[in-house]
Order: sequence, then structure tokens, then C-alpha cells
Amino acid sequence: MDGFLITVLSNIGMISFVALSAYILLLSGQISFGQQAYFGIGAYVAGIATVMWSWPLAAALVLGAFVAGAAAGLVGLVTLRLSGIYFAMATLAFAEIMRIAAELFVYRREIGGIETGPDGIDGFRDIRYLFANDISPFQSCLIVYALLVAVLATLFIVERTRGGRMLRQVGEDPLLAEVNGIDVMRVRIAAALSAGAVAGLGGGLYAHLLTYVEPRSFDIMLGVHALAYGLIGGLGTALGPLLGVLIDIGLLESTRVFRGYRMIVFGGLVAVLLIVRPRGLLDEVAISRIRQALRRWRHAGD
Amino acid sequence: MVALDLAQNTLDGLMVGSSYALLAIGFTLIFGVMRRLNLAYGPTIMAGVYLGTAAFISLGAPILVVLAIVILGASLVGLYVERLCFRPFGEGARTASMVASFALWMQIEEAAMHLLPRHMNPFPALVASAPLEIGPLMLRADHLVMLAATLLIAGAATYLLARTKLGLAIRAVIDQPRAAAIVGIDVERVMMLTFVLASAIGGIAGFLIAATDAQVTAMIGMWATTKGLVAMMLGGLGSVKGAIAGGLLLGVLEAHAQWFLGPQVRDMVAWGLLFVLLAFWPGGLMGAKALDRTMAVGRRV
Repeated sequence: MDGFLITVLSNIGMISFVALSAYILLLSGQISFGQQAYFGIGAYVAGIATVMWSWPLAAALVLGAFVAGAAAGLVGLVTLRLSGIYFAMATLAFAEIMRIAAELFVYRREIGGIETGPDGIDGFRDIRYLFANDISPFQSCLIVYALLVAVLATLFIVERTRGGRMLRQVGEDPLLAEVNGIDVMRVRIAAALSAGAVAGLGGGLYAHLLTYVEPRSFDIMLGVHALAYGLIGGLGTALGPLLGVLIDIGLLESTRVFRGYRMIVFGGLVAVLLIVRPRGLLDEVAISRIRQALRRWRHAGD
Repeated sequence: MVALDLAQNTLDGLMVGSSYALLAIGFTLIFGVMRRLNLAYGPTIMAGVYLGTAAFISLGAPILVVLAIVILGASLVGLYVERLCFRPFGEGARTASMVASFALWMQIEEAAMHLLPRHMNPFPALVASAPLEIGPLMLRADHLVMLAATLLIAGAATYLLARTKLGLAIRAVIDQPRAAAIVGIDVERVMMLTFVLASAIGGIAGFLIAATDAQVTAMIGMWATTKGLVAMMLGGLGSVKGAIAGGLLLGVLEAHAQWFLGPQVRDMVAWGLLFVLLAFWPGGLMGAKALDRTMAVGRRV
């Protein structure tokens, strides 16, 4: 495979984590503009762990996801009783605070004779773990997709459990869910926590694959894009957000046909698409039709 | 000299804050009738300002013509946003509207970059006189114009809402869209008019901001959306008075933070205040709690 294709595939994989993160919150009925904050936290924490503390990559990624999830849970505690635009604004405010904090964050140390570490607005450069350990771009792409498949599998399994049904019910009608004896706040905090961890995992991968991360990498654009991916791709299945990422990065950013006009095409496309399908291409109705068709096909085979 | 600094900062902050207040009024009007967030509001303003700048650069249009082009451009682009992002959706599809408006944000910004590819472009200056001195304090003449324009527009908006037939219709739609439709108000038309009106107000705000700086950068769209949103949320949703209070407060706060703590902390303070307010005092400064309650009821019914 050539280098360009691998880069595009890795990008699609990494951005998918943020898209899935926004999707988990959308399922719980909350719109977050701020999932990029946890992406950034994961990126910085995981980067610091491998570069400054010489941790192995796996442990660093786990730490990044853990810290991001914990932060998301804490933010959730104070913001999740808000809803709609209030919640969206609170998450955006937190993400912008984190981004500016990263601009002010300097933590430099000498490692192996070279001074390194996060350097304020210039970001955190030379995260050379993959390079130093002879992991090729193709192998790192495989790591990204292995983790993505793991997250997806977890989501699919959870969606089939009681917890997953509770999540959708809370998203569709919190009052009804409450009447049915569901602890809405607890479900929402659990959703926020796991969404934060998923975004943090993606951030950790991002920092290592690109070898750098800067405050600008997780500005509001990333957050709103992540949200849009779920809504274009569809809210019926965890594959929806992935389809959204694939359409945007795979089709528009990476093919050169639309160079210079990508956003004009993408913007118009999304606006029109949402008129036709307000819950995305793979919405709940489409998913249940596909399931039915699959079932019929299976019975026909018997 | 700290007292003097404080006074000067407060003064500067009030002046800059008046432009935030205008943006917040526009946001509030749209949010009031639509109950949905128009993220493309800033880029709408950007489109108007860029059209005006283009006319200024290539045709040497005089400042009043530029103002007219900015207002007209913003109104037309606002109409486009309304048609594509708000008219087709019912109130139920809030997220869809918001994401669609974000999609158009991207689209409008790229179109604007094709119109004027440079990051920074010249804009006709408002008043080129030396700053006025009031005792030890300095006051820029164009800032005064900005403040006066804000008060004028806020007054006009209040008059329109409180005294005219259209204003009555707008308030009826804000309160109870279904009841408004039953008594014969053309809700869609009211929504469209409000949307265009808000876009025109945004155009004036964008014009004043660009004219005070005598330049316009590609960041103006993002800037207008975020500042307007924060000012509106600080003031509490759905009231013109709240929007003005929120805008002025944001301006003053930023001026102090910039002076004492630097430009990065300035932005952090605004967001931090917003976060704390939302987390612990979600109604905002003059929050329309009643509006919130009707919204909650509306959602259930």
C-alpha cells in the first residue's frame, strides 16, 4: 500500500474515535460541542507518558483514555443536568478552556540530552515512540483499526444489553425513562465517561501517529465535525458515525476532485441530506429494515 | 494608577462590548422564534462584510455604500441559511437544524475565501479623528459611534417588539407558536422576517467592527459566532435586555483580563465565566426562566 493511502486510512480511523464519542452522547440525548477536549487530554497525557516518563505505548494509551474519561465524568457531574443548547454551550466552554490551557501549558525536561515536552502554543513535538521502536506507518494503522474494532465491538455488545436499551430510552424520553425507574443521571454520567475515554484513546493514537499535537489540533472545528459525522452517517448504529467520517475524509478531503471547493460541496451536501434524512443515512428505520431483510434472507436459506 | 487602569479598561470594555451586544441581540432574536441555534450566524455576517470589502477594494465604494452592501449581503445570506437549515425542519429536529447550519458555516466561509483569498483585507475606516480625552481617560471616536449605534438598534428592536404589529406577532410566535398559528399569524413568514432582521443587525455589527479596526480578517465568522453565543448565554436566552447586559459584561471582563493577564487568559476568562454560570446558574444574568419553562412544557405536549 502506498504511503498516502495509509495516511488517509489512519486519519479516518483516528477521527472515528471522536465521532463515536459524540455519537455515544447523542444516543443519551445530549449534544456535545466539546468532545475534542477529551481527544486533546488523551493526546497530551499519552504523549507525556511515553516521552517524559518512558512508558510503553499501550500503558500510555490506557492512561490517556483513563484521564480523559475521568475528566469527562467530572465535567458531566456539573453539566449533565443541563440539556439542549445549555449543555452544548457548557461542553464547548470547557473544551475552549482546555484548548487555551494547552496554549499556556509548558512542561519541558531534558530527555536523552534534548529538551522536550509540551511547549505552550507551539504544542508538543517529537513524540517519537513509534519511530524509535521501528513501528511502520502500516503497522500503526493496524493498531488504530484494531483498537477501533475493539471499541465498536464493545459498543455493539453494550447496545444489546439492558444498559444499551436504557441509554437509548434516556435519549429519546428522559422523563419516561425516569418514570420507568431508570436513574437518568447515572446513565448519562456513564455515557459521558465512556465517551470521554473513547475520545481520549483516539487522541493518544493521534499524538503518536502524527508525532506531535498542538492546541489547534483540538479546536471547535474538530468537535462540531465529530458531531456532524454521526448525524450524516446515521444514529441507528455505531457504524453511522464511521460512514460520516468516511464520506468526509475519504471521499472529499482525500480525492483531489474537489480541491478548494471541498467545504462548499460538503456543506451543501450535509444541509440537503439532513432535510431528506434528519437522523442520518443509517437511521433507526433503515437499520431495522436492514435487520429484517437479513432475517428474511437467512430464513430463505434454510 | 490601578484605579485609572481599571476605569480605562472598563470604558474600553463597554465600547467593545457594545458590538458583542449587537451580535447577541441577533442571536437572541433567532433563538427566540426558532428555538434552534444558528451556528451560521457569524459566517452570514462574514459574507456581508466580505462583499462590502470586495466592493471597497475593487470599485472604491464609499463607506455608506459599503454599509448598504454589508447589510443587504448579510440579509440575503441569512435568508439562504433560513431556507436550507430552518424552514425544512420542524421544531422537533433541533439537532438537524444546528448541524445543517454548521455545514453552511463551512460552505459560506470557503466561498468567502474564494472571494478574497488573503487573510487580512482593508476596510473603510469609520472615523479617522484623534481619540477624545476626558480628563486622564482616552476615548476613541469610532468606539463612541459603535456604542451609539448599539443603543439605537437596541432601542429600535425593543420598539419593534413592544409596539408594532410585527413585534406582537414575533412575541406571539416566541411564546406559543401553535397558538399564534391558530389566531391567524403566518408563523413561517414571521420566522423568516425575524431571521432576515437578525441577519441585518448582524451585518451592522460586522460593519462597525470591521470599520473600527479598518480591516477584516478571515477569523471574523468564527469570532462573531463565538462572541455572540457567549454574550447571549451570559445574558440568558430570549431577552434583548439580557443580550445587551451579556455583551457589555463580556466586553468589560475581557478588557480587564487582557490588561492584567494577557490575551490568552482573556479568552479563557470569558469561557470560564460561561461555564461556571451554566453549571451553577443556568438562567444567565437576566434569564428568561419563564421561556425555559414554556419550552419544557412545549417539548412534553
